[in-house]
Amino acid sequence: MDLHVLFGDFTVRSVALGAALVGTVAGALGSFAVLRRQSLLGDTLSHAALPGIALGFLVSGSRSLTPILAGALISGALAALLVLLLTRTTRIKDDAALGVSLSLFFAVGTVLLTYAQRQVGAAQAGLDAFLFGQAAAVLPADLTLIGGVGLAALLALALLWKEFKAVTFDADFARSLGLPVLALEALLTLLIAVAVVIGLQLVGVILMVALVVAPAAAARQWTRRLEGMVALAAAFGALAGVTGALVSASARGLATGPVIVLAASALVLASLLVAPERGLAWHAARSWARRRALGSHRVLVDLLRLGQDHRDPAYASEQGMLDTYFGGPTGHVLRRLRRRGLVERVEHMPEEGAHWVLTPAGRAQAREPQAPFGGRRDEDENR
Amino acid sequence: MTVVGGVHEPALALHVEDLTASYAHQAVLWDVDLNVPPGVLAAIVGPNGAGKSTLLRCIIGAVRPNAGHVYVHGRPYREQRRRVAYVPQRTSVDWDFPTTALDVVTMGLYGRLGWFRRPRRTEADEALEALAMVGMDAFASRQIAELSGGQQQRVFLARALVQDADLYLMDEPFAGVDATTERAIVDLLKDLRARGKTVVAVHHDLQTVATYFDWLALLNVRVIAQGPVAEVYTAENLRAAYGPRVVLLGATEGAAPVAASVATAGATDRGTEEARTPVA
Amino acid sequence: MTALQAWLDTPSVTIVAVGALVGVAATLLGTFLVLRRESMLSDAISHSVLLGIVGAYLLTGTLDTPLHVVGAALAGLATVVLTDLLVRSRRVKQDAAIGLVFPALFAAAVLLINVYARDVHLDADAVLLGEIAFAWLDVVRVGGLEVARSLLTLLVVAAVNLAFVVVAYKELKLATFDPALAVALGLRPGLIGLALLSLLSVTAVGAFDAVGAILFVAFVIVPPTAAYLLTDRLWRMLAYGSAIAVASSFLGYRVAVALDVSIGGSMASVTGGFLLLALALGPRHGLIARALRRRAPQPPTGARAAGAGTVPTAIREGADAGTPAPALTVPGSRR
Repeated sequence: MDLHVLFGDFTVRSVALGAALVGTVAGALGSFAVLRRQSLLGDTLSHAALPGIALGFLVSGSRSLTPILAGALISGALAALLVLLLTRTTRIKDDAALGVSLSLFFAVGTVLLTYAQRQVGAAQAGLDAFLFGQAAAVLPADLTLIGGVGLAALLALALLWKEFKAVTFDADFARSLGLPVLALEALLTLLIAVAVVIGLQLVGVILMVALVVAPAAAARQWTRRLEGMVALAAAFGALAGVTGALVSASARGLATGPVIVLAASALVLASLLVAPERGLAWHAARSWARRRALGSHRVLVDLLRLGQDHRDPAYASEQGMLDTYFGGPTGHVLRRLRRRGLVERVEHMPEEGAHWVLTPAGRAQAREPQAPFGGRRDEDENR
Repeated sequence: MTVVGGVHEPALALHVEDLTASYAHQAVLWDVDLNVPPGVLAAIVGPNGAGKSTLLRCIIGAVRPNAGHVYVHGRPYREQRRRVAYVPQRTSVDWDFPTTALDVVTMGLYGRLGWFRRPRRTEADEALEALAMVGMDAFASRQIAELSGGQQQRVFLARALVQDADLYLMDEPFAGVDATTERAIVDLLKDLRARGKTVVAVHHDLQTVATYFDWLALLNVRVIAQGPVAEVYTAENLRAAYGPRVVLLGATEGAAPVAASVATAGATDRGTEEARTPVA
Repeated sequence: MTALQAWLDTPSVTIVAVGALVGVAATLLGTFLVLRRESMLSDAISHSVLLGIVGAYLLTGTLDTPLHVVGAALAGLATVVLTDLLVRSRRVKQDAAIGLVFPALFAAAVLLINVYARDVHLDADAVLLGEIAFAWLDVVRVGGLEVARSLLTLLVVAAVNLAFVVVAYKELKLATFDPALAVALGLRPGLIGLALLSLLSVTAVGAFDAVGAILFVAFVIVPPTAAYLLTDRLWRMLAYGSAIAVASSFLGYRVAVALDVSIGGSMASVTGGFLLLALALGPRHGLIARALRRRAPQPPTGARAAGAGTVPTAIREGADAGTPAPALTVPGSRR
């Protein structure tokens, strides 16, 4: 893949730009979906867009993107409405309502799709592209539409930022402030639907949910503030979009959607691992550092204290309790102490773990005040 | 510790020792020792987040503790399942489930049936008897969503009664029930005690502890105090468990308070310095 | 015998039978999924199993081995396990976790197909939409009869699912209704849940050929949901759901033939029609029934005759306090 050649190609540049915009909008609005625990609504919205896509094509008689996207938006909105109706008026639960809406709209969509395919065979390739996304199928005119609508959505988000923030974090409080919570939530859902719909041509109906969820989930690992999360999610979305578009354009026969999704998933994985504070790699490093720093003397003193708490000098402390106390494994220190003859390992109750008891030498050592800045005891500590 | 032939502390209905459990590197239970004698109505009481439900779930094996052991009438819980009946919080269940009150009670016998055996006539009869004991036999074929909160709690109790256990573990049995049901449940518990059974209940209401129960454990991550209610239910212990902002009505220092109301505005639910578990 | 063979040779019979078997197999498991509030997991699993199938294909070079069933079950379990791991890490919530794991696995599968299996009958469209129209073409010989392969496969799958539901009925019921009690009684609700999802994965594979991934989801969720509105007994929910699935297969085929559209899509859409009917006409939970109940005064639910008299409507409905019920009877003094 020669980046220079790629970037030199006007079409590729345009598609990459379009993908970047799609990713930006999906990331930004997806943040709200994820925070409101509505990730799977994105899944429903994208699958439910299928009948609208087919109808848009059938009604307009052309593969022009405008009627198709309009149709997708309308059927997505109807699907969201169905979910609301089902959960509010019957005993059907959230997840079932989402699943019902998703699968039924999609089913009707496949019926319409096959109907459309019978009608005008030539357009079949065009509509199929909406299943998995096909960068190659995106025309410059399409990009203009996607870009325009996407920017409009971002503008709406910027204008109503405070209101959306309030409604997301505490709807009741927002209501008490006089905000029209219902209208705002409906609008937010609509904007999420827009974010989903403009991405369908590139990512496809099946996988669009990932572009709504992954950038936001990744961004969440790096920051606690909404502003930061939305901005970062937008950036991650753009990055995933561009990467996917470029890779897919450079290799023949690679559907764009899957590549974008894998790029986004990689971002999530990386964020989960290395983000500061929340990152799992950070946690592992910190635990390891804590493990190393755990001084033998401290463990000794606490064994002594546990014995005093239980009024039993020969009290056998379960290792699990020590681990809980220190917030990490203590086995290595205990074994070190045993080697020095300061503790002994005993079996206690049959179903419990190892127990440790102070030897007389250990008791004596525990009572000794620790010399400041370590002193002669510390030669063993930093092994 | 004496474990002779697999038996440990047989004189106690429930013996918990050194029980320690944590969640997200925070201790939820620390070094919990609980020794409940047989034939009492025991309450476990403490602020929210103090580990009360977790304690019950550790006992029945739903949560793996970091340390400690649980013995029921002298043997480990898993050997005594048949002798223990567990009543979870009423709100932990989806009452829209398509089933009847009788069916819910019958579920209490599933343990006795074991894997894959179907409940038969005998089980249905016993379930109906249990429903009658709580005055719900007329509702046997009623769908559970149609029942009120108090009726649902009775059904849950019937499900425990049908197991004819020796130890009853209940999670907030009085929460959200009407006054009539509350009185009825108290009578039921007293009857269980009269028959020599033991009840250990997580109780949510400090006001009624002294009247409903005769044994008390104050829990705030660690056990503050346990024993007969009269000895444990003191201003000092309550302050230790709930924090310095406990408001005790009609009590003088040292005497048992007549009623207690907890004003926790601003105070952390985890209680005072002593009660807070040391975590590195 | 010849009549039977002739009957089996009829494409429409095979198609409807395959559809019905997919419906029943899916509904039996889907009923519990809906009750456990795990409906969307079926969407996730039905996508991820593709990775298992592709993996098996890459290992063995063919599509016809039982290995792809194993691969599917593993992929389904992997989906559940990975989702669970994400949730347990406390970095991601449940719904987001689902929306992260299955698209990644599915995307990987699609790309693998694009790159390594272009020419094979693993066309992505077929995966999504199925080709039930061609179900009757691929036949095997069984006991002197020529039977469509997918018919046979789905017969086995449906039978296994039915056996599971029947044998583990009370375990499934308790694990779904009150997992805490199930644990206390030693009935391993976690294991039951995993078994349920493994069977779902296998069923998804069987259904791929016929109706495709997403239409399979319709069969898993919609008939049970419709049945949920029709009855208050679990076994009836299973029965009604299965009946709806079978009827949808039959009617859906007719509609598809009449309109010349996707058969699988048509069958799935018809399940929606039944849901609509259930919504409107359900005896207790249907909208019409509820509207009627609101108009006409009814005896208060939960009151005994004991001189309760008429209780005002406002208190009867929605009041959680409940009406006065008889005091508990002490054993020994029962009537």
